[in-house]
Amino acid sequence: MSTASNGKAVTSKSTFSRETSVSVNIEADAAIIWALLTNAADFPRWNSTVISISGKIQNGETIELKSTLDEKRTFKLKIKEFVPNQRLVWGDPMGSRIYSLEKTGKGTQFTMSEKIGGPLFPLFASMIPSFDESFDRFAADLKKEAETIQRSKN
Amino acid sequence: MTTDQLTTEFESFQRELKSFILRMTASVQDAEDIVQETYLKAHAKFDTFRGESTLKTWVFTIASNLARDLLRAKKRWPENVTDICKDAVLNDREFFQEALHIRQTSPQGNFEIKEHIAFCFTCISRSLPLEQQITLLLKEVYGFKVQEIATIMDQSEAMAKYYLHVSRGRMIDIFDQRCALINKQGICHQCTELNGIFNPKQKAQEELVKIEMARDAADKNKEELFDLRMKILQELDPFESGAAILQLHHLKHNRKLMEKHLGESE
Repeated sequence: MSTASNGKAVTSKSTFSRETSVSVNIEADAAIIWALLTNAADFPRWNSTVISISGKIQNGETIELKSTLDEKRTFKLKIKEFVPNQRLVWGDPMGSRIYSLEKTGKGTQFTMSEKIGGPLFPLFASMIPSFDESFDRFAADLKKEAETIQRSKN
Repeated sequence: MTTDQLTTEFESFQRELKSFILRMTASVQDAEDIVQETYLKAHAKFDTFRGESTLKTWVFTIASNLARDLLRAKKRWPENVTDICKDAVLNDREFFQEALHIRQTSPQGNFEIKEHIAFCFTCISRSLPLEQQITLLLKEVYGFKVQEIATIMDQSEAMAKYYLHVSRGRMIDIFDQRCALINKQGICHQCTELNGIFNPKQKAQEELVKIEMARDAADKNKEELFDLRMKILQELDPFESGAAILQLHHLKHNRKLMEKHLGESE
């Protein structure tokens, strides 16, 4: 799925899956973005889509995430991939959230995507809210916070 | 560089180092032990110093690592440490008797509001995660550059910047909510209350106008007020100031109470 690099989420659907993706250029080092993405307890401070994350965002660990998408639910998610400053994947058997960072001439290209699906997906597809607005906000919040830290005095 | 030069340079920043470790550990004993151990380690490992950083940065790295090893197993203090300690001290006659004795007999037994502001920061900054507390102290109080802090902490510059940003923001929020000197709705008045106890003939308001952070609170934003708070710490040597003995007695007391509160008493 191609994603425009404008911080606006794009969603594609098929019978058995749905994938939402957002991408934005952030004028900050990948390491700063990585620090923001991997400090669980700090998420709610800068990210308006996250109510809380408990646990450690490290390879093989499990986190518990509460999102504004569904405030009543706690998602138990396993950290599936953890490549510092490059790629982070967490998820459950239903799907995976992928964060990727790529150095560009002017900072870092941040891309986030989530694919959910499976044989039973058609049965509950209508119950899953759209991720688009949440993805837009996530990308905008991350860009704002990372660029603020990047600009801070040395 | 020779070991004699190491000794000379070490002596030139030894007080700063001791003050840094005190503000990290909140313990005079730990500060003295760690400074001594740092010197011995620096001396023993001097042949590994390649001059890739300044000697001061290298020595602060050794000291920070020793302090981190000591503190890593200990719990962080709660943000409301000063409330907890105040509640406990109100019933502690012995504490006040000792403090008043120091006040009356020690040449470093004065009570000054600005010294209590520095003391208060030392206590509350122990609520930050350890890496954040160290980064904040190194940058805001001891004037290290982010690059030097990254070396001391063995972290990337990006991570040092991140720790600095988060810790600074957190402390600004805590003081904005708590400190009545900068916010009329602030819930903590301990520095002026203690001033009333230790300097009964003095009017707190007259003292406060001498402190830029309190005097200009209404005209400055939170960031500027935090910078002024840091300026107070930069200018004070917690071992040499006119209120040092009184404040260190108070710090020792708070530390004991926190150890008890957190179940860490020996």
